[in-house]
Amino acid sequence: MAGKTAIIASNGTLFDAYKVYNIATAAAASDHEVAIFFTFEGLNLINKEAYGQLPLPEGKEQIAEGFAKGNVPAIPELVEMAQELNVKFIGCQMTMDLFGLEKEAFVDGIDVGGAVTFLEFAKDADVTLTF
Amino acid sequence: MIQTDKLLDAKGLACPMPIVRTKKAMNEMEPGQVIEVQATDKGSLADLKAWAKSSGNQYLGSSEEGDVLKHYLRKADQSEEKEEIRFPHTVTNAELKQELNREDVIVLDVREPAEYAFGHIEGAVSIPLGELEKRSGELDAEKEVIVICRTGNRSDFAAKQLADKGFTRVKNAVEGMTQWDGATEQNNA
Repeated sequence: MAGKTAIIASNGTLFDAYKVYNIATAAAASDHEVAIFFTFEGLNLINKEAYGQLPLPEGKEQIAEGFAKGNVPAIPELVEMAQELNVKFIGCQMTMDLFGLEKEAFVDGIDVGGAVTFLEFAKDADVTLTF
Repeated sequence: MIQTDKLLDAKGLACPMPIVRTKKAMNEMEPGQVIEVQATDKGSLADLKAWAKSSGNQYLGSSEEGDVLKHYLRKADQSEEKEEIRFPHTVTNAELKQELNREDVIVLDVREPAEYAFGHIEGAVSIPLGELEKRSGELDAEKEVIVICRTGNRSDFAAKQLADKGFTRVKNAVEGMTQWDGATEQNNA
């Protein structure tokens, strides 16, 4: 492994999803060990019901056209790619409880853990990012 | 048209997909093989260079054809880093420069065609190491042959091969193209 990248995803719009998954897949493709900790609205990015239809940030709806033209991959496609590249997904237990969500609501293959689970991974990471 | 071992079509894909696809494609390649990556994402130029550097693979160069960027990369070959240099007759690049204009000297470049295309010594003959076995007949055994590659390792193999085939005046340019500071020419169209 060439390095280690730790990401916190705490927001739930389409923009946030691209920021998180683009960096995550690029890091994984560069041989980084990558983990994403999904918390609060960030849980939308792995929520089976939500992740295929994430909203644009308020006032940015006109960007939808740009996404269509830009040939950017759909979020579920990026999620699949990230998992194929062994990016580790960690759902935040505390916010899942808060929102009344079970592990089954999310894409397959996620771990569920608390803040310490993420901190254990992040303590010796080369890159740590928050979105 | 540069000869490569694999072609990856990443046209129409946005960041980071060209990198992700390149990574996947290179996982299936043998060390030392060369891939051509075709992309329309303008960011792929800077990204692939950076990716090659961090992943230890070799970025050879890029060319542009209309909207399409063609990038050439060579998969890292660990054995090249470790291999001892054993062929006894060697020249430095400074010595090689002195020999360049002599009639009875052939400079033989044994790197892959894509590496050759993005910068080689003027007048150098291109025969990749893997093809030398069957193509050595193209060279005049009466002449002095100075073999060069990227870092002096493939050229070491090549020099030994040529000596075995009866070439009597063979030398390995041990410093390789990475340390070459003289003029080069390209033909990457």
